[in-house]
Amino acid sequence: MLQVEKITDDGAGTSGSGTRTDEWSDCLRLIAENQDRAAFTRLFRHFAPLMKAFALSGSTLSANHADELVQEVMLKVWQKAGGFNPDKAAASTWIYTIARNCRTDLYRRLQKFDTPLSANDVAENVETEEAFMALHQKRSGERIRQLMGELPNDQAQILAKVYMEGKSHSEVAAELDLPLGTVKSRVRLALQKLQIQFDRKNHA
Amino acid sequence: MPKFHPELDMLTDYSAGTLPLAQAACVSIHVTQCDHCRRLTSQLTDLGAALMESLQPEPVGEDQLDAVLARLDEASPLEYDRKVRSADGTPGILQRLMRGDFSDLTWKNVGSALRISHLNTGDPQHEFALYHIRAGGRIPEHTHRGSEMTLILEGGFSDAEGSYHAGDFIFRKPGDVHAPTALQSEDCICLAVLDAPLKFTDWRFRWMNPFLKLRTA
Ligand SMILES: [Zn+2]
Repeated sequence: MLQVEKITDDGAGTSGSGTRTDEWSDCLRLIAENQDRAAFTRLFRHFAPLMKAFALSGSTLSANHADELVQEVMLKVWQKAGGFNPDKAAASTWIYTIARNCRTDLYRRLQKFDTPLSANDVAENVETEEAFMALHQKRSGERIRQLMGELPNDQAQILAKVYMEGKSHSEVAAELDLPLGTVKSRVRLALQKLQIQFDRKNHA
Repeated sequence: MPKFHPELDMLTDYSAGTLPLAQAACVSIHVTQCDHCRRLTSQLTDLGAALMESLQPEPVGEDQLDAVLARLDEASPLEYDRKVRSADGTPGILQRLMRGDFSDLTWKNVGSALRISHLNTGDPQHEFALYHIRAGGRIPEHTHRGSEMTLILEGGFSDAEGSYHAGDFIFRKPGDVHAPTALQSEDCICLAVLDAPLKFTDWRFRWMNPFLKLRTA
């Protein structure tokens, strides 16, 4: 166990984003353990503007709704901080998941979508069970962040439309006036460059 | 470990949060049961976070921060633990939608081998239903006007393209024709998510189509 923690530290130390990532993990720990409002304020100042940019991507939400979303997400971050496990996920991935789920729920509320399920109910569980896999995941997350800057524009643009603007592959194809196959193959190329593993046969 | 999995673009949409609710519910059950898809999804979620971090930040006023600080003492809402499986292995999300177990559901017989029970996810574009196929039973040949997503919960079935077991995820595109037969050894229970009603091509079963009208309510 100790060994694993040591490796984790080394992993964070060698990556450029390591220290920053740890700063946000520390904030979440301080919030969970001490209800530390100063730590929350630091987290807010960094993430709320990103959250607002995320809310406004795709431009279907009004500025009021975007503000409402920012508040809701940050309040959830405060309330759920105790459930964050720094060995299993990066702080920003954990926060992104909350923002994504809240945005989806807000869209559904605005469309008067009546459902017993929340986006969180059908979301992945970012926690992996074994320590070895958790470490592997954290490394891969760091690698993805590093390699992101090297993606060609046309690939980065499509990923941003899918993830940030919440568009389906066919919506992206229509918007960019590209064949659907081109959009799909650019996504695949991008994921390959980011070394997101996809080595299985039955994925057609 | 399951052998058949969602395609990469479906997992990408899933981790981007854009998959329609009924489909996302089905994919989430597979992901919970499949180590490989769980790892892949986790990487795809890291990608989403990295994209969010590279956005151009939008200014947020101090009044917004004050507004949140003022609300920090609010009680947290209770959350349902969706990951818990019941003793019989039923995925948490299904337990919630079923409000009981498989035997508490209202089943509609379709032919002699198939029973269907619809669950309400609230997704207006997709039907979300449990299919119970008797051991050795054959589903009449049908074609899809829309897509059909199937996740095997118990038992298994085979069709012209292969045989599938618990945890396997199968996605049929519009126009695909198939006639699955449940394994001889045990009944098969699967979850099916349809975005348009099934249409039976076998004339003997055509009269049944009204029963299979897309139901989302
Ligand atoms: Zn899988």
